[in-house]
Amino acid sequence: MARKWTRYPKKTFYAFIGPWAIGFVLLTAVPMLYGFLVSLTNFDGSSPRWKWVGLRNYLELFNDGDAWAALGRTMAFTAIVVPLSVAGSLGLALIINRRLRAVGLWRTVFFLPSVVPVVAMAIMWKLVFNKDAGILNAVLGVVGIGPIDWLVDPTVFYSLITVMLWGLGGGMVIMLAALQGVPVELEEAAVVDGAGRWTVLRHVTVPMISPILFFQVITMVIGSLQIFVQPLLLTNSSGIAGAGTVPESNRMYMVQVYQEFFLSNRFGYGSAMLWIFFIIILGLTMVLLRSSRSWVHYEVDTDAEREGATK
Amino acid sequence: MNAQTRISRRIIIRSLAIAAALPLVAGCTVGSPGSSSGGNSGEATITLMAGAQDLSDKQIAEFEAANPGIKINLIVTDPTRLNTMLAAGSPPDIVAGGALGSANFNARGLATDLTPFLEKSQVLKEDDLQPVNDGFRWDGSHSGKGPLYGIVKDWSQDASLWYNTALFDKASVPYLSETEPTSYDELLQIAKKLTVADGGTTASYGLGLEWAWTLYGPMSAMVLQQGGNLYNDDLSKIDFTTDQARRAFQWYVDFANAGVGPTSLNPLPDASDFSTFAAGRMAITQDGYWFGGNFATPEALKTVRMAPAPVMGETRANPTYSGQGWWIPEQAKNKDAAWKLMEYYMAGAPAQARASSGWGLPALKSLMAKLPQELPYQKAAYNVAQNELQYAVPLPDSPYITIDLLNTTIDKYLQKAIKNEMSVRDACAALTDELNQALAHGKEQIG
Repeated sequence: MARKWTRYPKKTFYAFIGPWAIGFVLLTAVPMLYGFLVSLTNFDGSSPRWKWVGLRNYLELFNDGDAWAALGRTMAFTAIVVPLSVAGSLGLALIINRRLRAVGLWRTVFFLPSVVPVVAMAIMWKLVFNKDAGILNAVLGVVGIGPIDWLVDPTVFYSLITVMLWGLGGGMVIMLAALQGVPVELEEAAVVDGAGRWTVLRHVTVPMISPILFFQVITMVIGSLQIFVQPLLLTNSSGIAGAGTVPESNRMYMVQVYQEFFLSNRFGYGSAMLWIFFIIILGLTMVLLRSSRSWVHYEVDTDAEREGATK
Repeated sequence: MNAQTRISRRIIIRSLAIAAALPLVAGCTVGSPGSSSGGNSGEATITLMAGAQDLSDKQIAEFEAANPGIKINLIVTDPTRLNTMLAAGSPPDIVAGGALGSANFNARGLATDLTPFLEKSQVLKEDDLQPVNDGFRWDGSHSGKGPLYGIVKDWSQDASLWYNTALFDKASVPYLSETEPTSYDELLQIAKKLTVADGGTTASYGLGLEWAWTLYGPMSAMVLQQGGNLYNDDLSKIDFTTDQARRAFQWYVDFANAGVGPTSLNPLPDASDFSTFAAGRMAITQDGYWFGGNFATPEALKTVRMAPAPVMGETRANPTYSGQGWWIPEQAKNKDAAWKLMEYYMAGAPAQARASSGWGLPALKSLMAKLPQELPYQKAAYNVAQNELQYAVPLPDSPYITIDLLNTTIDKYLQKAIKNEMSVRDACAALTDELNQALAHGKEQIG
């Protein structure tokens, strides 16, 4: 059999792909498979006494009101946080992307919150939100609003959203990079044609940066759905067993999963919850990818356009 | 594609599979028992998971000096970390935890039977152990009897009350009796009188229940006082729908709605009554004898007194809600060294220091004489505590559920009832269902 001509030997290909493949197998594929196997058991994480229970964990999950409530809450949280974050970071970037005095300083100021470690950030916000000694209630007190307990149900949900929006600077930097890639002549041409500021933004700027917007939306949706550390840290106290103290309005899906794993010691059930969540996120990402065809514009040919061209 | 490429791909896939399987195999060996070194071969480092203040640096240095070759690595209590360490097969050598709640660990086969160590010990003796240690016993189906899986460091009858007489004087409320119990209904009325509101904030709370620590303990005790029991005989089913349990649940809801003390919906920032009480901002707190250990220093609050446990029914009962102690995990690597530290901590200098400071009642009979009686409040508290001993009862400890899960689930439904999302009747029924489901899972696991 004749050997096909190749520019490089095969082993070069495998050598390059190897580290990724090993990483993927060891750190993603195997844990996922392991997680799936665990989800078919009643394993409690430590005791040698466990047995196979088939799909029972999955069946139980479909009737678990708490899990579905947590999922609904997480979806609502994502639906609020993602548009606000994308719009907010774009807004900040638009403000900064002008000839301002000390623009570097402003950029730094807006960006700084997103480099603060999450634990430090949570501690800071807990102090801000403190009912008796927090600065927020002190300010509200000046205008005659009585003290509000920001860290309990149901207000804590809004506190969480505030904390999330505080980190807009990270998105702003990415948006800024995108904005600086928009050709000035396009915007000027639109202005010459009589377009107002809003029209330029809507019909020139946003379409030009839509791939970046799309990237932001996808990563933020996944990030918000998987939110976990912030609700766990943003509790009033560290009383009754960790995850159990997260107020109900902040009991997101991952918090619920954590509780099943480490409070109820139900590793099997928790794994089943994770698998279902994985499928939901995968589905949602696919829907978003699909929708992107109608609103994301690439400057190079996309597959769809290429298909159209060859037809 | 030619044959050679196919083969080499197969080889690569195979090697990837082997590489993938290696950590699994390694994981199995980490988890296998019998790899313990025993701690006799020279150097050993004991990993101790306990409270940050349980063992002072000075005590650690003292122990290490007396036991050359043994080093202590203290990690702070963290149930999640313990879970992962147990799951990985490399648990701490000693874990701090309550006697109440140990049934679950013991039934899951996670703790070491200490009887052989106890038999050989020159320091800790079986007949010197106070009955509270029986909470760490497990005979394969029930706690309270059988081999010993842990030793209590100190204990208290945690339904007792401590109060600040200065705040009672200010509100013109008569002091509580040192021998006769107050009823819970009366206590709530007193708490209302003692609560001082200041606009939207509470300047001074009437009563603290250490809500963040335990709900199962006090509720279970309230049911016992009414002659009932939350559990069935084999501890596999719980029932909050009885009149007695509902009354206890209702009392907690009334307490929260009265706004006289911290709850999980209005928590204290440090999740503990002490600092608020010590600051003179809480009139009564429900804490055991150990609480008095806080007031021995000259600058501490002087106007403190202890009172008997309140009652909800005819029967007086003042159980321990926890009985903190130490246990050695079954898969611990340095059991002999761990036992030495156990001897030092449970009978040596730290135990003597705890007893003589009044930080709880000693878990050894021989240390009872060391309890402090110098200061007036210490003398009074000693008398109250001695009188309460006759009402000590063990709380039921089901092997099929963890105390943490019990507490959080009770809290969840209390919150629903307090917020009026559910009636007390419905909340009790839903709580019963949810806990029974968890108990059924536990029973299936343990068998």
